[in-house]
Amino acid sequence: MAVSERERELFDALKQGVIDYDEDGVREAAQAVIDEGIDAYTAVFEGLVEGMNEVGRLYEEQEYFVPEILMCADALYAGLDILKPHIEQKDMGLKGTVVMGVVQGDVHDIGKNIVKMMFDVAGFDVHDLGRDVPLEKFVEEQLKTDSELLCLSAMMTTTMVGMPEVIKKVKDKNPQCKIMIGGAPVSEDLAGKWGADGFAKDANNALKEALNMVKALKDMQ
Amino acid sequence: MVVKQYKDEMTGLERALAALSYQKPDRVPVASLVCGAARRVLGVTYDKWSQDAELIAESLIQTHQIMNYDFDIFVMLVDLSVEAGSFGQEVIYPIESTAYANPNNPIIKTVDDYRRLERINPRETGRMKVVIEATHRVAKAKAKECGVCGFVYAPLGVIGALRGHERMFVDCIKHPDAIIEACEIITPVLEEYAVAQIEAGAQAIVMDTLYASATIMSPKMWEAIEAPYAKRIADTVKKAGGALVLHNCGGGIYFDVQQKWTDPVAISHAYPAADCKTWEDHAAKWGKKIVSIGALDPASVGMTWNEEQVMEETRKFIEYYKDCDGGFILSTGCEFPPNGTLINAMAIIKAAKAYGTYR
Repeated sequence: MAVSERERELFDALKQGVIDYDEDGVREAAQAVIDEGIDAYTAVFEGLVEGMNEVGRLYEEQEYFVPEILMCADALYAGLDILKPHIEQKDMGLKGTVVMGVVQGDVHDIGKNIVKMMFDVAGFDVHDLGRDVPLEKFVEEQLKTDSELLCLSAMMTTTMVGMPEVIKKVKDKNPQCKIMIGGAPVSEDLAGKWGADGFAKDANNALKEALNMVKALKDMQ
Repeated sequence: MVVKQYKDEMTGLERALAALSYQKPDRVPVASLVCGAARRVLGVTYDKWSQDAELIAESLIQTHQIMNYDFDIFVMLVDLSVEAGSFGQEVIYPIESTAYANPNNPIIKTVDDYRRLERINPRETGRMKVVIEATHRVAKAKAKECGVCGFVYAPLGVIGALRGHERMFVDCIKHPDAIIEACEIITPVLEEYAVAQIEAGAQAIVMDTLYASATIMSPKMWEAIEAPYAKRIADTVKKAGGALVLHNCGGGIYFDVQQKWTDPVAISHAYPAADCKTWEDHAAKWGKKIVSIGALDPASVGMTWNEEQVMEETRKFIEYYKDCDGGFILSTGCEFPPNGTLINAMAIIKAAKAYGTYR
């Protein structure tokens, strides 16, 4: 369906508002989308998601860093809060469920929050367990939701050692679930050794990895 | 490099000083970042260890003994909540893991709280007092023959622990003036803390400037917010007779702007500088300007590699820096994993002796 001039104007405002971390501008454009009866689902993907794609590029080129990404995330959520209630679940396109959290004993959650944002905006059903999450809780939540993806994060070697226990328990019961691990001490070697399907190194890489995860999941479906 | 039968010709202190002044020592020195892991030598829990000067000092001294007195530099890193806790931040002390500021109960709850921080005397307050005392004990026992480095978390690190890092990063954009007001309150305390550690016997201060790296923030933002305060601390350290060393385990560390503001004698780091792609590039560009301390991957050394792999990776680093006039000190790029195998910490020293001789 062709996009009208007005729709394009609002989608661009959403996109630019995310890039410029202009929460008020995003809110205003999102409200106009709803008030004028424009499709909210299209606005999310052609506005907010396009904005985050550009943010990802700016990160790649080292023009944006963690503080800017966090600001962009606030702007994105400002728009999503308005648009999402107007989107029919059946219209969300990619239907996936993600369980995520920072493992027990660890409170470093910036990387996890950035990954969460990407899944939120892509329309996933995100079950964010937060930080310092008991290991058993990951297993329970994954089995309860039958999620396609489980994301575990840790910043310390003393806490990352809880990850293999979670991975083993989940894979034993649900081998189809893809498991991603992230955080500074985590490596591809450890991901392989522990039976995870992938890893993200730190908060910045998490943004890129999150995009890859979304793509990988799309390819799986 | 040829494997030689190594025999000590210098003390650890002489070795460290030679490396820091680009005069080739007998072998590559080793700085021990076995800090929290040292508690296991004494068999005490982490919570007790990190709050008791005697336990901290004794564990480091006994770790030196277990390692055949072969590492050359002690680093008085306990954890990154020492300063914040002394400012009144609630700290959680797990039994088997590193202490941390409780992010659910930050002392800076609103933007106005930045300017409500109260200046404290580090010589009399909280765990800053404990670390000063531990430094005194280690220096008294070891500073004649080894290097002893005090440790200070730079202002933004402390503020992050008091506010929550995510909230602080947003405030760096929305309310930079408030952050700067907090830096004005915190920096004199950190200066005094550094001086107290030097007076306790530390010959150098390691200042952790974690945020001066591409992993975290732009060089422009770091220069606008933390750099002037890092400079103040650096100048104070030098004026007090200490050598200034930086630690930064972030990726894409800004060597250039940090040199401009703080002019350190050495930087302890885990990744090549932001303007270098590889370790070879880094050694060629920075190796003769700022002494590198590093840069073995801590998690791999402590948790995944075997002794042979550690020695091989160590050999590679010695090779990268072989043409830097002796200006290189071996270590892990960040704290040795508190739960890592000490055999592998010892393998770094073994490799320094096997592959790191200059004569």
